[in-house]
Amino acid sequence: MPGDKHAKLDTLRQQITAIAAQPALRDTAHTVVGGGLLATPRGVLHEVYADTPRDGGAALGFALAQAGLLIESGRPAVLYVQMSADAQELGLPYGLGLGLFGLDPRQLVLIRTAGIAELLWAIEEAIACRAVAAIVADIAHPHKALDFTASRRLSLRAAAAGASVLMVRYARDRETSAARYRWRISPVQSRPPPFDDRAPGLPRWQVTLEKGSLDGQHIVSPEGEALVVDWTRHGFARVAADDRTGGARRTAPLSGAISAALGDGLSQAS
Amino acid sequence: MRLVAVDERAAAEGLIVGMPLADAKGLVPHLTVREIDRAYTARVFSDFADWHSNASPLVSVLTDLGEWGDLVLDITGVSHLFGGEAAMLSRLMARLETLGLAVTGAIAPTIGGAWALAHYGGAQVVEDGLNALLAPLPVAALRLTAAQCEGLHQLGLKRIGQLYGRDRRGLQARFGESLLAKLDQALGYAEERLVPRLPVTELYMERRFAEPIGLIDDVLMTVRDLALQLADRLGRDGQGAQAFHLFLYRVDHKVMTLSVNAARATRDAAHIARLFVHRAERLEGEYDAGFGIDTIRLAAGSLAALGETQIGAFETDDGAASLDQLYDRMTSRLGPLAVLRTEMVDSHIPERAVRLTPVIASTVQADAPPVIAAPRPLRLLPQPEPINVLAEVPDAPPVQMVWRRVTYRFVKASGPERIGVEWWQAGQPLALTGPAPPAVPGGSFAEPYSEGEQTRDYYIAEDDGGRRFWIFRQGLFGLAAAPRWYLQGVFA
Repeated sequence: MPGDKHAKLDTLRQQITAIAAQPALRDTAHTVVGGGLLATPRGVLHEVYADTPRDGGAALGFALAQAGLLIESGRPAVLYVQMSADAQELGLPYGLGLGLFGLDPRQLVLIRTAGIAELLWAIEEAIACRAVAAIVADIAHPHKALDFTASRRLSLRAAAAGASVLMVRYARDRETSAARYRWRISPVQSRPPPFDDRAPGLPRWQVTLEKGSLDGQHIVSPEGEALVVDWTRHGFARVAADDRTGGARRTAPLSGAISAALGDGLSQAS
Repeated sequence: MRLVAVDERAAAEGLIVGMPLADAKGLVPHLTVREIDRAYTARVFSDFADWHSNASPLVSVLTDLGEWGDLVLDITGVSHLFGGEAAMLSRLMARLETLGLAVTGAIAPTIGGAWALAHYGGAQVVEDGLNALLAPLPVAALRLTAAQCEGLHQLGLKRIGQLYGRDRRGLQARFGESLLAKLDQALGYAEERLVPRLPVTELYMERRFAEPIGLIDDVLMTVRDLALQLADRLGRDGQGAQAFHLFLYRVDHKVMTLSVNAARATRDAAHIARLFVHRAERLEGEYDAGFGIDTIRLAAGSLAALGETQIGAFETDDGAASLDQLYDRMTSRLGPLAVLRTEMVDSHIPERAVRLTPVIASTVQADAPPVIAAPRPLRLLPQPEPINVLAEVPDAPPVQMVWRRVTYRFVKASGPERIGVEWWQAGQPLALTGPAPPAVPGGSFAEPYSEGEQTRDYYIAEDDGGRRFWIFRQGLFGLAAAPRWYLQGVFA
């Protein structure tokens, strides 16, 4: 009867609204054991977005941290794929700086391709290999070839093979994609180490999970703000709200007399 | 204008090589003359030379006295396939004569001896007694320059036999070392090697076609069959190979070569065939079958012993073999410089401390990478970029910088970490990756050693947005003329 049908539709609508209203990152008081904070399952496609290539360090740091968490004995390798043209703009991973992310420089293989088609081919080939834990693809500019079809293909292959793909992109707009998780990373002032309050400390990022949900993991965001995490050697660590402005005593730029020798460069500097 | 080559009929009329054109036309009024295109002839000749690899794998063009015309084959160990040396020589010469070429040839224990006999003796096969056979030949048979020949003629030395037993130091002083070198090489006292044009292979499987084929798909199908045969043969010998070469012999006597490399010795036929499929995708415009391909040869080089592969019940398979195959496939499709691994170098200059080497070529590193206590950035720019910085002199951390036309104000900084010059490497250019990016204005790094100018102070600076940079100042205040600031890396 039409009345029943309307009632059912209303119930369904309410359920959908309730689901959509839940934020992806929900409140909890403790981190989950046996996976760690922000640990993700294997075999999924992630998109890691940063606003501009200036934030490239934070985005790649997050992606490599996630890749490092996925390494196990049967899957020792992590691959990094980039187009050769983007190397000077974004920079290449530096072997000596990988230790913080749990990656042995000998395990990370860099692949530099000529174009976007070869990049997608390389990701697919790497997914098929059963000894690869994760593939990090660093793409500086949007490309037509990175459309919904390509992302769906990659996510299906990743799910079938069990290797994760993390695509690091730099944009403010979001395109439709079949990625299961979409992160937005931006860097945040770090907490200085105890012995020197003018020095930068551990990497600290603001992480927003725009798409997807980490089932069973509840992450602090009481005010609905994004999550701020530190990366320590052993995993992500949540940063309490009162500690957000790390080193709040020093938000002003460093003071100091300016040398006369630099005076003629000031007009370019400001 | 002089004559460079004459055919039999012209030679019969009395024309010789080197005669001026005017004299030649005077002798033979109805002469047909063509101008030689040396580059084209050299190229066609070397293509033609490759075709001879179906007689012997070591073929080379001797360019001592001209870029074309002399073909050297090393037939050690091959002549029995043709029924003996004499039979091989006559067969090769007959084959070329049916193509309409004028040929002479000789087989001798040394390259110089064979050349001399081919040009100045008749076609013959020499086993021993080379010295006696070379003695009556003129000295020009030693591939000497015109000046040397004339000098020897002036001294009355017209035959090679007259050079035997002469005072070597006198000859060397008068004519240079090359005369003695050529003489020793011809007689076998000094070694002369030929540089083969095509890669040297140790084992091959071949298929000839009744009808020439042309499509790349047919070629790849044949490669699959040949790979199975090759794998079978390698398995029987207990060997694997690391370099595979595909030779496509065309009907018009040209050869196309494709090579792939594997990171470890393999005899997996499917893997080999797939490598060639990927390599063929990279060919684009180079594949030209011409009038057709009539022989395909798949050869293996760099053989190594390879036992039976077994995965035991208690062994853990760390996936190294499948990773190597993945890198092989990627290298064959993307190119050798596309798949790279970081290699640690013992140097304290940051961009020299790591080197990116192709995964295929890298050897296994036994030592752990050196532990550096100071923090290092996550990303390094291939070329450090010059920036404008405000900082207190002489060595306070930077306060503000302008990079890529954006201003950053720093709220935290640590440093300086002073990295001195490696005086033993002064003047060498620094490169992080293979293909060099375009030169960045602001100075090069290949400067002579000067400690004040080139010592670097590194700082880690964090701006108000939380971005952390690795910045250095090159040059010390007071010691350098103009210290410059650069940004080299970005932290996580």
